[in-house]
Amino acid sequence: MRRDRPFRDVPVEYADIEIENNAQRMPLVLCLDTSSSMAGAPIRALNDALQGWTHELHDDVSLGYSVEVALVTFGGQGVNAWQGPHALPPNAPVSPFVPAHMFQPPRLAASGVTLMTEALELSMRIVAARKTELRRSGLQYYRPQICLVTDGQPTDATGHLTDAWRRLIPVLADEQHARRFRLYAIGVGGISELGEEVLRAFAPKFNARLQGFPFRELLQMMSASANAEQKGAGDEVFEKIFSQFKTQRPAWEA
Amino acid sequence: MSAVSGRDGRRGPWRVHGLSVEGYRHLRGGVPCQDAWHFAVTGPARDPVTVLAVADGAGSRPCSDKGAELAARLATTHFGRRATPAFPGADAVHDQLRAAFHDVREAFLRQTGDDADDYATTLTVVVLASTWVGHLSVGDGFVVLRAGVEDGQPQFHLLPQADAPSEYSNETVFITTANAESWLRTACVRDYAIDGVLLSTDGLAQIALSWRDGRPDRPNESFAAAVFRSIDNPGHDPAGDDAALAELLRSDRFTAINADDKTLLRAVRR
Repeated sequence: MRRDRPFRDVPVEYADIEIENNAQRMPLVLCLDTSSSMAGAPIRALNDALQGWTHELHDDVSLGYSVEVALVTFGGQGVNAWQGPHALPPNAPVSPFVPAHMFQPPRLAASGVTLMTEALELSMRIVAARKTELRRSGLQYYRPQICLVTDGQPTDATGHLTDAWRRLIPVLADEQHARRFRLYAIGVGGISELGEEVLRAFAPKFNARLQGFPFRELLQMMSASANAEQKGAGDEVFEKIFSQFKTQRPAWEA
Repeated sequence: MSAVSGRDGRRGPWRVHGLSVEGYRHLRGGVPCQDAWHFAVTGPARDPVTVLAVADGAGSRPCSDKGAELAARLATTHFGRRATPAFPGADAVHDQLRAAFHDVREAFLRQTGDDADDYATTLTVVVLASTWVGHLSVGDGFVVLRAGVEDGQPQFHLLPQADAPSEYSNETVFITTANAESWLRTACVRDYAIDGVLLSTDGLAQIALSWRDGRPDRPNESFAAAVFRSIDNPGHDPAGDDAALAELLRSDRFTAINADDKTLLRAVRR
């Protein structure tokens, strides 16, 4: 929904109307794997895709003031929340969410371990905290979206495979049943069978294993999903968008 | 624009004007405007009743534009039929409103048959009798009344809205919802100072209302004052007035706050 027409101003007869930004908000978390397996071309592709998506959001008249973007990365020695281009210290008292029309992505680097479980837990915490803030501010919101993207499988802080992710399965099932957010879990690159099993367990309806690193299409799918949410679309619409995304055809442009 | 001017030059003590514009999202998607409005003047010529209705078709349903149109028209017919020009007592007004909604819903379900859910729509109705005002709403439409003046400023009042069914703002109740009658909100107002009424669908809720604790709290006075001003003092060119109002509703400042269809149905005493 790019701006493809001249700016439409308020007519002079109505110029005295004062408008607060009461737009209904949609928190969107990108929970991204930046562990060592993403080094090289994959992380470059991710950075480029984030840059391109940012331009699209800035130009999008309806998503720009509604979608709020936060990034969570898992790589290096742990997990990080990002407020736009800035990594926040752990337990920072500020929200990582930035209105989409002001969002600027960080330049991500890949290294270290895959604390996927902890990253998803952090994603859920920041979504819950943002909802509370929005309610306090008197603002309405749509169902948040969390998009987990990984090419690996969960490890502990020493880089060893772990079963700790299993503790998340009942939590995520409850949260999704209660419709607290919509979770997408996407495997890219050469994700293993076990990695795929993890994604299926986390997001039974919205998981995918994609060839290569199609981050651009993935971010466009998130925009399409945000648009569908704004329209009040039923679950079947999200399933259709996702199923066509899995085959890497841009259903939302059909 | 699904409909243009509705200035009623024929009868009734109220000047009425309605306008719906398709939202940016629908415009880009080639989807028709799914909002509708309608009004009718009924009852005896010496004591007429004006019925106003706005409806917002569900974004995800294939025939919701037709559903909104049907609901708004059925509402003016059935609420007009039930309305008594003389004040029958507050309880009787509430009963009358609920009975009229029941009539509308029955007729709607009859006409849309097995596909009723494809026509899902909200409905907000105001009945303007000479000594009372009735209001019924299912879904997230809203009504602002203008009544009284304080310190030289007209006073605007938001009528209580129906409860929201979930924490998410895009989820609401439709007249086709199975238990729609349990989500109804009705009101009876007796205030001779009422000289302006504004009905709208949720496309303007974030602009026309001020919010607190996630709920609409009161009207945005600057919005209400501006849109009542333009119907109180219409220009010599009704088409020009319509164009300016449509331009306002389609402006980027409004679209950035809400890209949905927008409807404004106003009535002011002549």
